[in-house]
Amino acid sequence: MSTNTSSPKSAGNRVGSVQCDNTTLHLLKANDYVANAIRERLKDVCVINVCSSPGSGKTTLMQETGKLLANDLNISVLVGDPETERDAIRMREVGINALQIVTGGMCHIEAQMILQALDHIDITGTDLLFIENVGNLLCPSAFDLGEDYRVTLLATTEGDDKPKKYPRMFLTSELMLVSKSDLLPYVPFSVDAVTKDAREVNPNIEVITISTLKNEGIDEWCDWLKEKVKQKKESRLQAEVK
Amino acid sequence: MHELSIVKDIFDTLEGHYGARVEDVQQIQVTAGLLSNVQPVLIQNAFDAFIAENRGYAEMELEVVVNDIVAYCDVCQQNFPVHYHRFVCPCGRSSSTIVQGNELYISKVIFKQEK
Ligand SMILES: Nc1nc2c(ncn2[C@@H]2O[C@H](COP(=O)(O)OP(=O)(O)OP(=O)(O)O)[C@@H](O)[C@H]2O)c(=O)[nH]1
Ligand SMILES: [Mg+2]
Ligand SMILES: [Zn+2]
Repeated sequence: MSTNTSSPKSAGNRVGSVQCDNTTLHLLKANDYVANAIRERLKDVCVINVCSSPGSGKTTLMQETGKLLANDLNISVLVGDPETERDAIRMREVGINALQIVTGGMCHIEAQMILQALDHIDITGTDLLFIENVGNLLCPSAFDLGEDYRVTLLATTEGDDKPKKYPRMFLTSELMLVSKSDLLPYVPFSVDAVTKDAREVNPNIEVITISTLKNEGIDEWCDWLKEKVKQKKESRLQAEVK
Repeated sequence: MHELSIVKDIFDTLEGHYGARVEDVQQIQVTAGLLSNVQPVLIQNAFDAFIAENRGYAEMELEVVVNDIVAYCDVCQQNFPVHYHRFVCPCGRSSSTIVQGNELYISKVIFKQEK
Protein backbone atom coordinates (compact mmCIF):
# COMPACT_ATOMS: atom_id res chain seq x y z
CA MET A 1 0.00 0.00 0.00
CA SER A 2 2.72 2.43 0.90
CA THR A 3 4.95 3.65 -1.86
CA ASN A 4 8.57 3.88 -0.93
CA THR A 5 10.08 6.97 -2.38
CA SER A 6 13.63 5.74 -1.88
CA SER A 7 15.07 2.23 -1.68
CA PRO A 8 12.89 -0.35 0.05
CA LYS A 9 15.82 -1.53 2.14
CA SER A 10 16.34 1.90 3.57
CA ALA A 11 14.83 1.56 7.03
CA GLY A 12 17.11 3.65 9.16
CA ASN A 13 20.03 3.27 6.76
CA ARG A 14 21.60 5.66 4.38
CA VAL A 15 20.93 4.45 0.88
CA GLY A 16 22.57 6.63 -1.68
CA SER A 17 22.25 10.00 -0.11
CA VAL A 18 18.62 9.87 1.00
CA GLN A 19 17.84 8.50 4.40
CA CYS A 20 14.46 6.97 4.96
CA ASP A 21 13.27 6.09 8.41
CA ASN A 22 10.32 3.71 8.60
CA THR A 23 8.77 4.34 11.95
CA THR A 24 5.64 4.29 14.10
CA LEU A 25 5.27 7.57 15.92
CA HIS A 26 1.71 7.66 17.22
CA LEU A 27 -0.12 10.96 17.11
CA LEU A 28 -2.48 12.54 19.66
CA LYS A 29 -0.99 10.30 22.37
CA ALA A 30 -0.60 13.20 24.78
CA ASN A 31 -4.37 13.25 25.12
CA ASP A 32 -4.49 9.59 26.16
CA TYR A 33 -1.81 10.24 28.73
CA VAL A 34 -3.81 13.08 30.29
CA ALA A 35 -7.01 11.02 30.11
CA ASN A 36 -5.37 8.35 32.23
CA ALA A 37 -4.27 10.96 34.74
CA ILE A 38 -7.92 12.01 35.03
CA ARG A 39 -8.95 8.39 35.59
CA GLU A 40 -6.37 8.14 38.38
CA ARG A 41 -7.69 11.30 39.98
CA LEU A 42 -11.40 10.47 39.71
CA LYS A 43 -11.32 6.95 41.11
CA ASP A 44 -14.39 7.56 43.26
CA VAL A 45 -16.47 9.27 40.61
CA CYS A 46 -18.41 7.72 37.76
CA VAL A 47 -17.60 9.90 34.75
CA ILE A 48 -19.88 10.04 31.73
CA ASN A 49 -18.96 11.76 28.49
CA VAL A 50 -22.21 12.89 26.83
CA CYS A 51 -21.92 13.44 23.07
CA SER A 52 -24.29 14.32 20.24
CA SER A 53 -24.86 16.71 17.33
CA PRO A 54 -25.77 20.26 18.32
CA GLY A 55 -29.21 20.46 19.87
CA SER A 56 -30.01 16.76 20.39
CA GLY A 57 -31.09 17.48 23.96
CA LYS A 58 -27.98 16.94 26.13
CA THR A 59 -28.47 19.90 28.46
CA THR A 60 -32.21 19.37 28.81
CA LEU A 61 -31.63 15.71 29.70
CA MET A 62 -28.98 16.47 32.30
CA GLN A 63 -31.16 19.16 33.90
CA GLU A 64 -33.99 16.68 34.21
CA THR A 65 -31.69 13.87 35.38
CA GLY A 66 -30.26 16.16 38.05
CA LYS A 67 -33.72 16.94 39.35
CA LEU A 68 -34.92 13.34 39.31
CA LEU A 69 -31.83 11.90 40.97
CA ALA A 70 -31.34 14.74 43.45
CA ASN A 71 -32.07 12.43 46.38
CA ASP A 72 -30.09 9.47 45.06
CA LEU A 73 -26.88 10.85 43.65
CA ASN A 74 -24.58 13.81 44.03
CA ILE A 75 -24.16 15.07 40.45
CA SER A 76 -21.74 17.59 38.97
CA VAL A 77 -21.48 18.71 35.36
CA LEU A 78 -18.70 20.07 33.15
CA VAL A 79 -20.18 21.66 30.06
CA GLY A 80 -18.21 22.25 26.89
CA ASP A 81 -19.38 25.00 24.61
CA PRO A 82 -17.51 26.73 21.80
CA GLU A 83 -18.45 30.23 22.91
CA THR A 84 -20.99 30.70 25.70
CA GLU A 85 -21.69 30.05 29.39
CA ARG A 86 -25.37 29.36 28.80
CA ASP A 87 -25.57 25.64 29.41
CA ALA A 88 -23.76 25.81 32.77
CA ILE A 89 -26.15 28.56 33.85
CA ARG A 90 -29.07 26.30 32.86
CA MET A 91 -27.60 23.57 35.09
CA ARG A 92 -27.11 25.84 38.08
CA GLU A 93 -30.67 27.10 37.72
CA VAL A 94 -31.88 23.64 38.69
CA GLY A 95 -29.37 23.38 41.52
CA ILE A 96 -26.67 21.29 39.84
CA ASN A 97 -23.01 22.00 40.52
CA ALA A 98 -21.72 23.01 37.07
CA LEU A 99 -18.72 24.57 35.40
CA GLN A 100 -18.50 25.75 31.81
CA ILE A 101 -15.52 24.88 29.68
CA VAL A 102 -15.44 27.46 26.92
CA THR A 103 -13.44 25.76 24.20
CA GLY A 104 -12.77 28.99 22.30
CA GLY A 105 -14.40 27.87 19.09
CA MET A 106 -12.90 24.40 19.24
CA CYS A 107 -15.07 21.55 18.02
CA HIS A 108 -14.30 19.10 20.80
CA ILE A 109 -13.08 18.91 24.40
CA GLU A 110 -9.58 17.59 25.02
CA ALA A 111 -8.50 15.80 28.19
CA GLN A 112 -6.23 18.69 29.13
CA MET A 113 -9.27 20.99 29.41
CA ILE A 114 -10.96 18.58 31.82
CA LEU A 115 -7.86 18.28 33.96
CA GLN A 116 -7.65 22.07 34.23
CA ALA A 117 -11.37 22.41 34.90
CA LEU A 118 -11.10 19.98 37.82
CA ASP A 119 -9.03 22.58 39.66
CA HIS A 120 -11.90 25.04 39.44
CA ILE A 121 -14.87 22.96 40.51
CA ASP A 122 -15.42 21.42 43.92
CA ILE A 123 -16.42 17.82 43.30
CA THR A 124 -16.00 16.56 46.85
CA GLY A 125 -18.71 13.97 47.40
CA THR A 126 -19.69 13.80 43.73
CA ASP A 127 -20.87 10.33 42.66
CA LEU A 128 -21.58 11.13 39.05
CA LEU A 129 -19.77 13.62 36.84
CA PHE A 130 -21.30 14.41 33.47
CA ILE A 131 -19.16 15.97 30.77
CA GLU A 132 -21.34 17.59 28.13
CA ASN A 133 -19.18 17.51 25.02
CA VAL A 134 -19.38 20.06 22.23
CA GLY A 135 -22.22 19.30 19.82
CA ASN A 136 -20.38 17.34 17.10
CA LEU A 137 -20.42 13.65 16.17
CA LEU A 138 -17.00 13.63 14.53
CA CYS A 139 -14.11 15.13 16.46
CA PRO A 140 -15.09 14.30 20.06
CA SER A 141 -14.94 10.61 19.19
CA ALA A 142 -11.14 10.80 18.92
CA PHE A 143 -10.56 12.29 22.38
CA ASP A 144 -10.68 10.16 25.50
CA LEU A 145 -11.60 12.42 28.42
CA GLY A 146 -10.89 9.89 31.14
CA GLU A 147 -14.54 8.86 31.20
CA ASP A 148 -15.93 5.53 32.38
CA TYR A 149 -18.73 5.58 29.82
CA ARG A 150 -19.51 7.41 26.65
CA VAL A 151 -23.18 8.09 25.93
CA THR A 152 -24.30 9.40 22.55
CA LEU A 153 -27.67 11.01 21.97
CA LEU A 154 -29.27 10.80 18.57
CA ALA A 155 -32.47 12.79 18.18
CA THR A 156 -35.30 11.43 16.05
CA THR A 157 -35.14 14.66 14.03
CA GLU A 158 -31.60 13.90 12.85
CA GLY A 159 -32.41 10.89 10.68
CA ASP A 160 -31.72 7.24 11.39
CA ASP A 161 -28.64 6.94 9.16
CA LYS A 162 -26.19 8.51 11.60
CA PRO A 163 -24.45 5.45 13.11
CA LYS A 164 -23.03 4.52 9.70
CA LYS A 165 -22.04 8.10 8.92
CA TYR A 166 -20.25 8.67 12.20
CA PRO A 167 -19.12 5.14 13.04
CA ARG A 168 -16.32 6.03 15.41
CA MET A 169 -18.70 7.85 17.73
CA PHE A 170 -21.01 4.86 18.00
CA LEU A 171 -18.14 2.42 18.08
CA THR A 172 -16.71 4.10 21.15
CA SER A 173 -20.03 4.58 22.98
CA GLU A 174 -21.47 2.19 25.53
CA LEU A 175 -24.98 3.61 25.23
CA MET A 176 -27.00 5.28 22.50
CA LEU A 177 -29.95 7.37 23.64
CA VAL A 178 -32.52 7.87 20.89
CA SER A 179 -33.85 11.25 22.06
CA LYS A 180 -36.98 13.27 21.36
CA SER A 181 -39.11 10.16 20.93
CA ASP A 182 -42.19 12.37 21.34
CA LEU A 183 -41.52 13.53 17.77
CA LEU A 184 -41.54 10.02 16.26
CA PRO A 185 -45.08 10.41 14.86
CA TYR A 186 -43.93 13.41 12.82
CA VAL A 187 -40.57 12.37 11.40
CA PRO A 188 -39.38 9.53 9.15
CA PHE A 189 -37.25 7.77 11.75
CA SER A 190 -37.18 4.10 12.65
CA VAL A 191 -35.87 3.15 16.09
CA ASP A 192 -35.48 -0.45 14.91
CA ALA A 193 -33.44 0.58 11.86
CA VAL A 194 -31.17 2.86 13.86
CA THR A 195 -30.67 0.18 16.51
CA LYS A 196 -29.77 -2.36 13.84
CA ASP A 197 -27.31 0.03 12.20
CA ALA A 198 -25.73 1.02 15.50
CA ARG A 199 -25.28 -2.65 16.44
CA GLU A 200 -23.65 -3.40 13.09
CA VAL A 201 -21.08 -0.81 14.00
CA ASN A 202 -20.90 -1.80 17.67
CA PRO A 203 -22.58 -5.07 18.65
CA ASN A 204 -22.28 -4.25 22.34
CA ILE A 205 -23.96 -0.85 22.30
CA GLU A 206 -27.00 -0.49 24.56
CA VAL A 207 -29.97 1.50 23.31
CA ILE A 208 -32.59 3.42 25.29
CA THR A 209 -35.30 5.52 23.64
CA ILE A 210 -36.19 8.66 25.57
CA SER A 211 -38.21 11.84 25.54
CA THR A 212 -37.13 14.29 28.18
CA LEU A 213 -40.09 16.49 27.28
CA LYS A 214 -42.72 13.78 27.73
CA ASN A 215 -40.81 11.81 30.37
CA GLU A 216 -40.51 8.61 28.35
CA GLY A 217 -37.67 6.18 29.00
CA ILE A 218 -36.20 8.50 31.61
CA ASP A 219 -36.66 5.98 34.44
CA GLU A 220 -34.72 3.40 32.45
CA TRP A 221 -31.96 5.96 31.83
CA CYS A 222 -31.82 6.88 35.53
CA ASP A 223 -31.66 3.20 36.49
CA TRP A 224 -28.80 2.72 34.03
CA LEU A 225 -26.94 5.59 35.68
CA LYS A 226 -27.54 4.34 39.23
CA GLU A 227 -26.29 0.89 38.20
CA LYS A 228 -23.10 2.34 36.67
CA VAL A 229 -22.39 4.45 39.76
CA LYS A 230 -22.91 1.38 41.94
CA GLN A 231 -20.56 -0.70 39.78
CA LYS A 232 -17.88 1.97 39.97
CA LYS A 233 -18.09 2.11 43.76
CA GLU A 234 -17.97 -1.68 44.02
CA SER A 235 -14.95 -2.00 41.77
CA ARG A 236 -13.27 0.69 43.83
CA LEU A 237 -13.95 -1.21 47.06
CA GLN A 238 -12.63 -4.43 45.54
CA ALA A 239 -9.47 -2.68 44.45
CA GLU A 240 -8.97 -1.44 47.99
CA VAL A 241 -9.38 -4.92 49.50
CA LYS A 242 -6.69 -6.31 47.19
CA MET B 1 -12.24 19.94 12.74
CA HIS B 2 -9.05 19.24 14.55
CA GLU B 3 -6.67 18.89 11.60
CA LEU B 4 -4.57 21.74 12.93
CA SER B 5 -4.18 19.98 16.31
CA ILE B 6 -2.95 16.95 14.43
CA VAL B 7 -0.50 18.95 12.35
CA LYS B 8 0.89 20.62 15.47
CA ASP B 9 1.18 17.20 17.05
CA ILE B 10 3.08 15.95 13.99
CA PHE B 11 5.71 18.64 14.47
CA ASP B 12 5.86 18.23 18.27
CA THR B 13 6.33 14.51 17.79
CA LEU B 14 9.02 14.94 15.14
CA GLU B 15 10.89 17.47 17.26
CA GLY B 16 10.65 15.20 20.30
CA HIS B 17 11.96 12.22 18.36
CA TYR B 18 14.54 13.74 16.02
CA GLY B 19 15.53 16.98 17.77
CA ALA B 20 17.39 19.42 15.57
CA ARG B 21 17.43 16.93 12.67
CA VAL B 22 13.82 17.91 12.01
CA GLU B 23 15.14 20.69 9.85
CA ASP B 24 16.58 18.11 7.46
CA VAL B 25 13.31 16.32 6.94
CA GLN B 26 12.23 16.34 3.34
CA GLN B 27 9.10 14.26 3.44
CA ILE B 28 6.91 12.56 6.00
CA GLN B 29 4.28 9.96 5.57
CA VAL B 30 1.30 9.80 7.92
CA THR B 31 -0.81 6.66 8.07
CA ALA B 32 -4.42 7.24 9.08
CA GLY B 33 -7.03 4.54 9.55
CA LEU B 34 -10.44 5.25 8.05
CA LEU B 35 -11.85 5.47 11.59
CA SER B 36 -9.43 8.16 12.70
CA ASN B 37 -11.67 10.75 11.03
CA VAL B 38 -8.71 12.26 9.23
CA GLN B 39 -9.51 13.69 5.82
CA PRO B 40 -6.35 13.63 3.65
CA VAL B 41 -7.29 16.86 1.86
CA LEU B 42 -8.02 18.74 5.06
CA ILE B 43 -4.86 17.60 6.76
CA GLN B 44 -2.86 18.52 3.66
CA ASN B 45 -4.33 22.02 3.77
CA ALA B 46 -3.63 22.38 7.48
CA PHE B 47 -0.08 21.13 6.87
CA ASP B 48 0.48 23.63 4.04
CA ALA B 49 -0.85 26.43 6.24
CA PHE B 50 1.48 25.41 9.05
CA ILE B 51 4.67 25.22 6.97
CA ALA B 52 3.81 28.51 5.30
CA GLU B 53 4.03 30.13 8.72
CA ASN B 54 7.09 28.21 9.90
CA ARG B 55 9.77 28.97 7.38
CA GLY B 56 12.22 26.38 8.65
CA TYR B 57 9.85 23.70 7.34
CA ALA B 58 8.96 25.43 4.10
CA GLU B 59 10.10 22.59 1.85
CA MET B 60 8.69 19.70 3.79
CA GLU B 61 6.20 17.44 2.06
CA LEU B 62 3.41 15.35 3.46
CA GLU B 63 1.97 12.12 2.17
CA VAL B 64 -1.14 10.66 3.78
CA VAL B 65 -1.82 6.93 3.46
CA VAL B 66 -5.33 5.82 4.38
CA ASN B 67 -5.83 2.35 5.84
CA ASP B 68 -9.06 0.39 5.36
CA ILE B 69 -10.89 -1.01 8.35
CA VAL B 70 -10.18 -4.61 9.30
CA ALA B 71 -11.88 -6.46 12.15
CA TYR B 72 -11.36 -9.89 13.75
CA CYS B 73 -14.02 -12.57 13.98
CA ASP B 74 -13.81 -14.73 17.13
CA VAL B 75 -15.77 -17.53 15.51
CA CYS B 76 -13.75 -17.83 12.30
CA GLN B 77 -10.58 -16.78 14.11
CA GLN B 78 -9.55 -14.59 11.25
CA ASN B 79 -9.62 -11.02 10.07
CA PHE B 80 -12.24 -9.68 7.70
CA PRO B 81 -12.46 -6.37 5.83
CA VAL B 82 -15.14 -3.95 7.00
CA HIS B 83 -17.02 -2.35 4.13
CA TYR B 84 -19.47 0.52 4.54
CA HIS B 85 -18.91 0.41 8.30
CA ARG B 86 -20.68 -2.92 8.57
CA PHE B 87 -18.77 -4.73 11.30
CA VAL B 88 -20.20 -8.08 10.35
CA CYS B 89 -18.08 -11.05 9.28
CA PRO B 90 -19.04 -12.93 6.10
CA CYS B 91 -20.11 -15.74 8.50
CA GLY B 92 -22.80 -13.44 9.90
CA ARG B 93 -21.27 -12.65 13.30
CA SER B 94 -20.86 -9.09 14.48
CA SER B 95 -17.51 -8.05 15.79
CA SER B 96 -16.09 -4.74 16.84
CA THR B 97 -12.62 -6.06 17.53
CA ILE B 98 -10.76 -3.69 15.28
CA VAL B 99 -7.34 -4.75 14.11
CA GLN B 100 -6.85 -1.90 11.66
CA GLY B 101 -8.57 1.42 11.05
CA ASN B 102 -8.18 3.37 14.32
CA GLU B 103 -4.52 4.19 13.87
CA LEU B 104 -2.95 7.56 13.30
CA TYR B 105 0.83 7.73 13.17
CA ILE B 106 3.88 8.99 11.35
CA SER B 107 4.93 5.97 9.33
CA LYS B 108 7.91 7.26 7.40
CA VAL B 109 10.38 10.11 7.57
CA ILE B 110 12.68 10.92 4.68
CA PHE B 111 15.65 13.19 5.25
CA LYS B 112 17.16 15.60 2.78
CA GLN B 113 20.21 14.74 0.79
CA GLU B 114 23.49 15.51 2.47
CA LYS B 115 25.23 18.41 0.84
N1 LIG C 1 -39.51 17.59 21.29
C1 LIG C 1 -38.48 17.53 22.15
N2 LIG C 1 -37.62 18.55 22.23
C2 LIG C 1 -36.60 18.46 23.10
C3 LIG C 1 -36.42 17.32 23.96
N3 LIG C 1 -35.31 17.51 24.70
C4 LIG C 1 -34.80 18.71 24.34
N4 LIG C 1 -35.58 19.29 23.39
C5 LIG C 1 -35.39 20.60 22.75
O1 LIG C 1 -34.27 20.56 21.88
C6 LIG C 1 -33.59 21.81 21.88
C7 LIG C 1 -32.10 21.63 22.20
O2 LIG C 1 -31.98 21.10 23.50
P1 LIG C 1 -30.63 21.22 24.35
O3 LIG C 1 -30.85 20.45 25.60
O4 LIG C 1 -30.20 22.62 24.45
O5 LIG C 1 -29.64 20.44 23.39
P2 LIG C 1 -28.05 20.28 23.52
O6 LIG C 1 -27.72 18.94 22.96
O7 LIG C 1 -27.61 20.57 24.91
O8 LIG C 1 -27.56 21.44 22.54
P3 LIG C 1 -26.06 22.01 22.34
O9 LIG C 1 -25.43 22.10 23.71
O10 LIG C 1 -26.27 23.33 21.70
O11 LIG C 1 -25.36 21.03 21.45
C8 LIG C 1 -34.30 22.68 22.89
O12 LIG C 1 -35.19 23.52 22.22
C9 LIG C 1 -35.04 21.67 23.75
O13 LIG C 1 -36.20 22.22 24.33
C10 LIG C 1 -37.39 16.26 23.86
O14 LIG C 1 -37.35 15.23 24.55
N5 LIG C 1 -38.39 16.42 22.93
MG1 LIG D 1 -26.12 21.87 25.57
ZN1 LIG E 1 -16.73 -15.02 11.14
